[in-house]
Amino acid sequence: MTDKDKQTNELDDSAPHALFSRVEKNIAYIETALGNSTDLVIRHIQLNKTKCAVLFIDGLVDKHTVQNFLMEALMLEMPKRRVSVTTLYNTIKDASLPIGELEEVKQFKDLFSRLLSGETLLLLDEETSALAASTKGWRDRGVQETNSESVIRGPKEAFTETLRTNTALVRRKIKDPKLRIDGKVIGRVTQTEIAVIYVDGLADESVVEEVHSRLDAIDIDGVLESGYLEEYIEDAHFSPFPTVYYSERPDAIAGGLLEGKVAIITDGTPNVLLVPALFVNFLQSSEDYYQRYDIGTFIRLLRLLSFCVALFMPSLYIAFTTFHQEMIPPSLLISLAAQREGVPFPAFVEALLMEFTFEILREAGVRLPKAVGSAVSIVGALVLGESAVQAGLVSPAMVIVVALTAISSFVFPSYNMAIPIRMLRFLFMILAATFGLYGIILGLIALIIHMCSLKSFGSPYMSPFAPLTTKDQKDVLVRFPHWGLFSRPSTQAKNNQGRTSHSSRGGQS
Amino acid sequence: MRHPLAPHGYVKWTLVWVVMVLTLTGCWSSRELDELGVAVAIGVDKDEDDRYVLSVQIINPSEVASDAPTTRPPVTLYTTTGDTLFQAFRNMTTHSPRKVYVSQLRMVVLGPEIVNEGVTPALDLLYRNHEFRPTFFVTVARDASVSDILSTLTPYERIPAKKLMDSLIDTEENLGITKSVTIDNLIADVRSNGKEAVLPGILMEGDAATGTSTTNVEKVDAPTKLSIDGLSIFRGDQLVGWLKEEESQGYNYATGTVQSTIETFACDNPGTLSVEILRSNASMDAQLRSGKPTITIRVEVEGNVGEVDCVIDLSDDDKMKDINKKTEEVIEKKINAAINVTQEEYASDIFGFGNVIHRNHPAYWKQIKYDWKSHFSELEVKTDVKVKIRRKGKSTQPLQSEG
Repeated sequence: MTDKDKQTNELDDSAPHALFSRVEKNIAYIETALGNSTDLVIRHIQLNKTKCAVLFIDGLVDKHTVQNFLMEALMLEMPKRRVSVTTLYNTIKDASLPIGELEEVKQFKDLFSRLLSGETLLLLDEETSALAASTKGWRDRGVQETNSESVIRGPKEAFTETLRTNTALVRRKIKDPKLRIDGKVIGRVTQTEIAVIYVDGLADESVVEEVHSRLDAIDIDGVLESGYLEEYIEDAHFSPFPTVYYSERPDAIAGGLLEGKVAIITDGTPNVLLVPALFVNFLQSSEDYYQRYDIGTFIRLLRLLSFCVALFMPSLYIAFTTFHQEMIPPSLLISLAAQREGVPFPAFVEALLMEFTFEILREAGVRLPKAVGSAVSIVGALVLGESAVQAGLVSPAMVIVVALTAISSFVFPSYNMAIPIRMLRFLFMILAATFGLYGIILGLIALIIHMCSLKSFGSPYMSPFAPLTTKDQKDVLVRFPHWGLFSRPSTQAKNNQGRTSHSSRGGQS
Repeated sequence: MRHPLAPHGYVKWTLVWVVMVLTLTGCWSSRELDELGVAVAIGVDKDEDDRYVLSVQIINPSEVASDAPTTRPPVTLYTTTGDTLFQAFRNMTTHSPRKVYVSQLRMVVLGPEIVNEGVTPALDLLYRNHEFRPTFFVTVARDASVSDILSTLTPYERIPAKKLMDSLIDTEENLGITKSVTIDNLIADVRSNGKEAVLPGILMEGDAATGTSTTNVEKVDAPTKLSIDGLSIFRGDQLVGWLKEEESQGYNYATGTVQSTIETFACDNPGTLSVEILRSNASMDAQLRSGKPTITIRVEVEGNVGEVDCVIDLSDDDKMKDINKKTEEVIEKKINAAINVTQEEYASDIFGFGNVIHRNHPAYWKQIKYDWKSHFSELEVKTDVKVKIRRKGKSTQPLQSEG
């Protein structure tokens, strides 16, 4: 019980529950509670001989709204004859203010959260409830083009840091009354707003409930990014594989909602979570559905291939060149052997060296300011390329292997699936250097068993491969034309499977 | 209470196990590419003291796959001796800087001494050792020593062993005068009662001393050359003689291993006509008539008219039938020549007639099994060749004909 209270508001311990009746006392209390913060604006006014105060946080409110619709209305449109404070309060509440969202506030807890999220408070003397006008308006980035998940064909917009903008972006995609947006506040100190979005009737109720209960169980001081939530609610904490999907593309999230998934928007980050997440989801891009199905299918197969290349290429190279020379075609063997003449390191060390160099370069490239970026790419080309070969440190074939691996790991539409591959690659390299192909196969078996053991919010991670669902294969490795995607994935949208009617296809049949 | 990050018991043990497995084994049996001496050809023979002489042709990778070749040869030949072949292999370490790696072996060349004495003892290692893959070809050095053949540099194809292998396959596929034999086929034939082995021969033309120097490949027409010869006949595991080219071809027709070849015969009018053989099939049957076996060889051949060097009207159906018949005669002649020479001169059943009798009349085979060699020489063999000429090429008339 105490945990629950603590979670909802840390200020509880010191704050009295109800507002005082004297406006000065309220103001004094608020000022003390906020430690005389300089961005707290307090405007004392007299309305109809009653002492009032308007409070807001500078920078969080839209000053234009406060000025035109609140102050102006209060100062100019008050009743002329003297009325009681209660009448005045009710008049302001019900009639005077041309503001869309106006709420009564009776508790300090509520008052603080509203004040600090950009609402403007009106306190009246001798009245134990304040009025909170929604005047939220701060500088944000605006809806911009996505950086991390760009597409050729398809909407370019991306989520922003503002929760309301993000919910609006989803609403604009799905204009169905059954789209549900449930609010939540997580983070004792940050008081971060969370929205859980799903389409009622499509999403499995048990999954929605599970999402709610897992989110409610979180007790943390601050949530700065959806990654905080992800680590709390994911099914497999110790697996390198992500069991929560995230995207900053509204169309990808809307597509997930239409498949019966549940989205979680966190205020302050453009990355929106989507559950349940299956392995195949990470290999699919929303563009697969915008381009024609044939190229969509081809690209999906290409991604699966690059998944294998990115994971196994260096280890296979090590295994073949140090254990299974008989499996290399003779002319290739001669060429590889010629390249290795004079290379001082074993193939494993050579591969490790190059892979680490690449990981270092990659990390440097992400963090560096843009101005220095070109310097890194020049140095990187020297370290990973011709110069390393000419210096006799690595063989040219290894450079090609590492480069191919690196490029392949960038093919995935979702960045967080590239992460387990990056890490497991080293594991497989060690296995290959120790046991050759035998080690790789053992590792692969262990990997597949592990992946099959994973679940994401009740859905088997490897479905629809394991368990095999024939009906769901239409949108996994191949993408059927849209008129052929007649049903939603059966593991997620249990209630409402139908998607198209067969008569809807135009043209000749 | 357990800290949320503290591993479960099984996780702990798995980690311990994984770390032990990875650290305690080391990189066992791993070999880097630059530690391998990749052998492409092996020569086996015996010297005067009855010791095995082993010659190994090893690739010099940086010479073969280099864009800046030096004057060093692309391959190196090491020769050692030993009481057994395996010992000779291990003695190789005193000569070669790298351990010899034989999984990429292309070719084994057997020397004249060992084929006369019997090849079985030498084959055992080549078949038993796990590093040998049974895909290499076994050949016989004809009229030259093994080390002379293996130390001859070849123009155009830098690795001599690869040149020999490619020539062998090409000859087999396009001329049909030879037959590539892998180690497992050879062993099966040597061990079989009802079939004797054949092996292709390798011939060296020119001077051995010139062939071993890089000057050999600096000339447009290399003075010393390696070429593929016809088939050698074995009896048991010993070489007893050689087939001529036509006889080798006849042998291949009879066993159905001709893929493509050329048959030439004289026309009615002066001149010759060549037929390109494209497909051939052969089947053998054994009949027992009054206790005497007869073998029937049926050969079906398809081909095209390849080259017409006489006056003949190809649009005439009768002429085409005539061509069919003449081609049949030529092929039949070759087959019979091969059968005659093996029956009369060498008494070696390279066609596998014994196996045919074994399959068709097992009871009879049991009686004559141990006396097969004498029976073979008196065996009656019928050949039945059917030729179908499919196409006549781009012209129905020869160039000589007027009009």
